[in-house]
Amino acid sequence: MSLRRHLPHYLMIAPFMILFAAFFLYPILSGLYYSFFDWNGVGTPNYVGLANYQSIVGSRDFTRAMTNLAQYIVITVPLGILIALALALLVDSFTGRWAGFFRNAYFMPVVLPAFLAATIWRWIYAPNFGLLNMILGWFGVRSINFLNDTGTMLYALIAVDVWVSAGFNMVIILAGLKNIPMELYEAARLDGASKWQQIVHVTIPMLGPVLFFVFTYGLISAMQVFDKPWLLTGSSFTSYGGRRHALLFPVMDMMGRAFGGVRFGEAAAYGFILTVAIVAVTAFMFALRAWRERQ
Amino acid sequence: MSQNGAGPVSVWKILKWVVALLVAAIAIFPIWWMINVVFALPGEPVSLNPRLWPTSLSAGIANIHMIFAQTEFLRAYGISVAYALLTIAGVLVFGSLAAFEFSLFEFPGRRVLFGFVLLSLMVPSAVTIIPAYLLTSQLGWLNTMQGLVVPGIASAFGLFMLVQFMRAIPKDMIEAARLDGANHFQIYWHVALPLSRNAVVTLAILTFIQTWGNYMWPLIVGSNAEMYTVSQVVGLFNSPLSHHTVDTVMTANLLAAIPPLVFFLIFQRKIIQGIAMSGTKG
Repeated sequence: MSLRRHLPHYLMIAPFMILFAAFFLYPILSGLYYSFFDWNGVGTPNYVGLANYQSIVGSRDFTRAMTNLAQYIVITVPLGILIALALALLVDSFTGRWAGFFRNAYFMPVVLPAFLAATIWRWIYAPNFGLLNMILGWFGVRSINFLNDTGTMLYALIAVDVWVSAGFNMVIILAGLKNIPMELYEAARLDGASKWQQIVHVTIPMLGPVLFFVFTYGLISAMQVFDKPWLLTGSSFTSYGGRRHALLFPVMDMMGRAFGGVRFGEAAAYGFILTVAIVAVTAFMFALRAWRERQ
Repeated sequence: MSQNGAGPVSVWKILKWVVALLVAAIAIFPIWWMINVVFALPGEPVSLNPRLWPTSLSAGIANIHMIFAQTEFLRAYGISVAYALLTIAGVLVFGSLAAFEFSLFEFPGRRVLFGFVLLSLMVPSAVTIIPAYLLTSQLGWLNTMQGLVVPGIASAFGLFMLVQFMRAIPKDMIEAARLDGANHFQIYWHVALPLSRNAVVTLAILTFIQTWGNYMWPLIVGSNAEMYTVSQVVGLFNSPLSHHTVDTVMTANLLAAIPPLVFFLIFQRKIIQGIAMSGTKG
């Protein structure tokens, strides 16, 4: 009786839930299973216990990818948000048509596909005839091979990354700014606070939850960076990560093991290692927030 | 925060404008530059000409004609359009059916199932991509349109967004429709869906931008030249082994950029609201 009454509900959610189970839940479970096998994707999987995990963690590429990732995240996430915050305050200080114009202009790189952002910037970074080297040439700087010099590669990536992510974060921060009651600024002004003091003592604290979201989300997506370093280094499954693996990142390493090395069990294990790292970082962020709130 | 009114022009105000315009130039310039390279008089090396303005309309049209006629770009364009449209259709139909139930009705298991979907928003795609590829391969779907589209249809983000929106539909309207003799599906079709038109359109646009820009999934699932999407062709044209010239490559880049940019210019408000909503309610 009860089932018949509820049947229409289940019928309506069934298409979504079936696809969700097939292409989301099942892959997670099967991935966990494969991670204990040595498998090339076609033959019989060969049970190897934890060997996949051990060989990943012990590999030079893994260490390289994780080191690169740490350096990349430490710069790109805070820098991207700082710039996004500055842009949001800048746009917010304009009114009417100009506010809309600047907001849209700064947001434009976000709508561009990430693969395209990377390819356009490859041309801008090109040695000798690239736009950036041409501009530097006006100031007497000799041509720099930004994407092949291990000293500049990471920063070249970060610049592209910020170029794209700043607009995205700015839009979210702008929405947060609109939610701050005007009275708080009025009160601060009556207390004699300068513009700068208002930003530090009213705007930033009131933006707390929004900044937390932007930071956590930025962290999670930065840990999975793939398209941009892959295309900036002109990677393929046989050769990736650029000169001396200076732009090798975990997802690239994982994809290379799967489709270059044809070691799918190992790649599945890599996915789990990465997920544990991401979940740990996310949990740490939430714990930090809970601790801050209790203070 | 608030405008300075019509006061005297201060140093700060000038500085603010200079910075704002400079940043706008940095944000827009690479796109502008791409247009200039395509619409440039042929024969002049890029190195001698920074290409600050487009110089030849006919050269640009010739470039576009050439790339459609002489390379595999046109087919890739068709595949990308089909991939994006079918994904949008799937996300909207499957997502709105499920969102209708999760947001407006009470039934056993509702909380648990919806909780599962929400939890999946936290799971990084890194963990699912390899096994999802293996499943697609076992189904025999490599290098097929269903292989590109179907695994991306059950979008947790899309469901979440539609549920947030449909929650605001007054229960009285559902009851009224039921009293008028509408069955369950008719209520969805004639009441819930028209009322959530805004969310549906926003989700469609965001899904388009995301699918059009998807690089990783087509790279591994559509690895045969016949299934290349625009993202892959652009990647190959730009690769170090590519034998294409700068204007060909830039034309490909520009044509890849046009659909999302046009969508943005038309639907800027909806896109920005959609992004802002996912951030402030997340």
